[in-house]
Amino acid sequence: MLNILILGLGQCGNRVLDAVNHEAFGSGGTFAKYYSRQKFPASVKTIAINTAINDLKGLTDTRAKDRFHVPHLHGVGANRALGKKVFDDNKEQIMSEIDKRGSFELIFIITSAAGGSGSSFAPLLVKELKKAYNAQIICIAVLPFREEGSIFLQNTAFCIRELVAESPNGILLVDNQYLKKYAGDIKSAYDKINISVARRVLFLIEALNSEMLMVTDLGDLKTVMNGGIGIGTMGYYEAGKDGTIKSAILGSFKPSGLLFPANVYNEGARAMLIIKGDKKYLDLDLITKTVEELSTDVGQVFKGVLIKKGRPKVLSLFTLNSVPELENLYAAAADAIRFEMDKREQSKKQLDDAFAHIDELEPIY
Amino acid sequence: MNGVRILVIATFFVFVLMTPVVVASGNDSYYIFDNELQVNEGITIETSIHIEVVEVKRIPLERAKFRITSYQRPERMITVFKEDGPQANRYETYSGASIYLDVIGVYSDSVQFRVSGPSNWRVTDYYDVDPEEGGGEVDEAVTVPKLKITRTLDISSVQQGQTAKVTFKIKNDGNGTASEIELDEPTIKGAYREGCPTTLDDIAAGATERVSYDLKIVDVEPGTYELNPTLLNYKSESGTSYSSESSSNVLVIVAEEVLAPELEIKLTIESDDDVIICGERFSVTVRIDNTGNATTGRITVKSHLPDDVRVAGGEIDPVYESIKPGDYEEYEVTMIAYEPGKHVIKMDVLWADEEASASAEFWAERSGFDKYYIYILAAIPIVLILLWLIKRRREYSF
Ligand SMILES: Nc1nc2c(ncn2[C@@H]2O[C@H](COP(=O)(O)OP(=O)(O)O)[C@@H](O)[C@H]2O)c(=O)[nH]1
Repeated sequence: MLNILILGLGQCGNRVLDAVNHEAFGSGGTFAKYYSRQKFPASVKTIAINTAINDLKGLTDTRAKDRFHVPHLHGVGANRALGKKVFDDNKEQIMSEIDKRGSFELIFIITSAAGGSGSSFAPLLVKELKKAYNAQIICIAVLPFREEGSIFLQNTAFCIRELVAESPNGILLVDNQYLKKYAGDIKSAYDKINISVARRVLFLIEALNSEMLMVTDLGDLKTVMNGGIGIGTMGYYEAGKDGTIKSAILGSFKPSGLLFPANVYNEGARAMLIIKGDKKYLDLDLITKTVEELSTDVGQVFKGVLIKKGRPKVLSLFTLNSVPELENLYAAAADAIRFEMDKREQSKKQLDDAFAHIDELEPIY
Repeated sequence: MNGVRILVIATFFVFVLMTPVVVASGNDSYYIFDNELQVNEGITIETSIHIEVVEVKRIPLERAKFRITSYQRPERMITVFKEDGPQANRYETYSGASIYLDVIGVYSDSVQFRVSGPSNWRVTDYYDVDPEEGGGEVDEAVTVPKLKITRTLDISSVQQGQTAKVTFKIKNDGNGTASEIELDEPTIKGAYREGCPTTLDDIAAGATERVSYDLKIVDVEPGTYELNPTLLNYKSESGTSYSSESSSNVLVIVAEEVLAPELEIKLTIESDDDVIICGERFSVTVRIDNTGNATTGRITVKSHLPDDVRVAGGEIDPVYESIKPGDYEEYEVTMIAYEPGKHVIKMDVLWADEEASASAEFWAERSGFDKYYIYILAAIPIVLILLWLIKRRREYSF
């Protein structure tokens, strides 16, 4: 059985992690935690890490002992520099908290790239975890709504760059902006996004841990994540009543099911497909044929088949050769930074001008 | 032996002599005198027998007192009652012939009477008595006794089978000795007199005599009875008859009291409001009273307990050798009732061929704990679930 650690950093990471924990209770809903047990498809440990204690308190399905508060009054704001310092100061505690939970073959780090704590902790944590564990590390980075402001854009830009620099096994992007379509208001959009991410993560874990026919394993995951620039995302499709397994597979590559806007057929480097459903739907020949077709466009496609009750569900996970949307973001971020710099320079100049008025003057009492 | 013969012969002669006279006076209604005389009037028969009316009395009985004198005979006072009969009052003359006095009617100061006797005898004279002469003659000789009789009973209420002692106190208030005292004591039907004298010895003037007898109530219906006055008839030394009577007495006769022991048994349960807690001890006091008037023989007690009631201490069915009248025995038993509900404890006390019983009731209730036992049982899983929920909640609250 796989030993998996899921870390949720910052408010965003914490809440996505909470959604994972919630989903692990199954279909019981809000009260399941009072009578049921989490049914992770593998040996899964979770820790929610945050500098803001209120964010930790807001969680509902993560055990209290799995919430780790890194003490820093009022959090770090959106200040990544401060965040890094706080991480350094508390590195030992954080690592020992993780260490208590044993050893792992696979570690997920879920964080927003835009915030203060999560986005500053994540790259540093990747570095530390790589030192400490011989485990695959996959970062799930949540990109901000574009209108959230220039600081979040900057943070995202630097965070992703630093993450890539620390070279985890892969970075899976979740784009709030892209997923905003899920709901009208931000709060319910968050919940929907978090649940979507959580379900995909659990699906992936289940596939990696299963010992069924045509399984995918950690090695396959590594290979997929190594493809392209090491950045990818996940897609998902649940077949309708009369849908064929082929339409379900293709559906999982459609933009509507992706967490980050990408054209898999154009930009895809490597992919993994996990197909789950009742045996009667799972025509292996058709699956193989469809996957082969996809491979001509997408490149290497790994597939796993899980026989489980229910209609066919397909999870797609892939890496990209190019990420135009990310490039857009970087451009916007650069613009924002430059704009900020200009503004600051201008303001500074204005202030200096103002100060100039009292040059060579002394206060008289 | 000779005396007896002489008496028999004398009686024979008297009988033979009297027979024609009696026949003559009885059958031929030969009366020497048959008329009315005033008091202090007299008649003379055959010139030698004088009969004078001394006094007449109508109450209590119609009677007349006559003074009779005759040749060679002492003066005699004779009281003749109206009812006496034609031959009851005889006067014997010196010659041996007798006359008989019979009162027919008594009026306020006269008496109608008859004198019967030998048929050839005639009234030879009518005369008035000179009171000075007659009284003077009598004064020296006459002393008058006067008896006063009081009757007392030692108890006013007698039981069937018991005896009342009746005492007469007879005092002679007169100046002469009372003699030939006859006591006529009435009685009650079903009661018998034991040792009641009919005649008494002479009582001198001023003396008091006490006489008593036992009135044995043998078979008298219970009720209130009046004992009629005692009648005393007596005579003075001169032979004058007198009488007096006591007052009447009231005697209550009550039914015969039967002597028998009578037992009463009483149960007392010591509890508040007669409510007992199941499984807890409570005590029951049993008291046996002898309310009868005799001591009992051997007494046994027999208890009847409901099935779920057990004796936890004490002897519940003791045996007593006897209980005196008015006395009692008391004992305490500790019991336990196991089931809730109404219980009745019954106890019989048996003596001779008799029995008495008593019962006591009480309610048994489950103890506070027992009562809520089921709820406590039901509450346990709820509490456990609650504790579990709280634990879970705490696990998930930071
Ligand atoms: N998908 C999602 N994004 C979130 C959630 N909460 C915050 N964010 C995003 O995270 C960014 C802010 O980072 P946050 O995690 O709050 O900062 P940190 O706590 O300092 O790491 C913003 O772009 C938010 O839109 C959430 O629950 N779900």
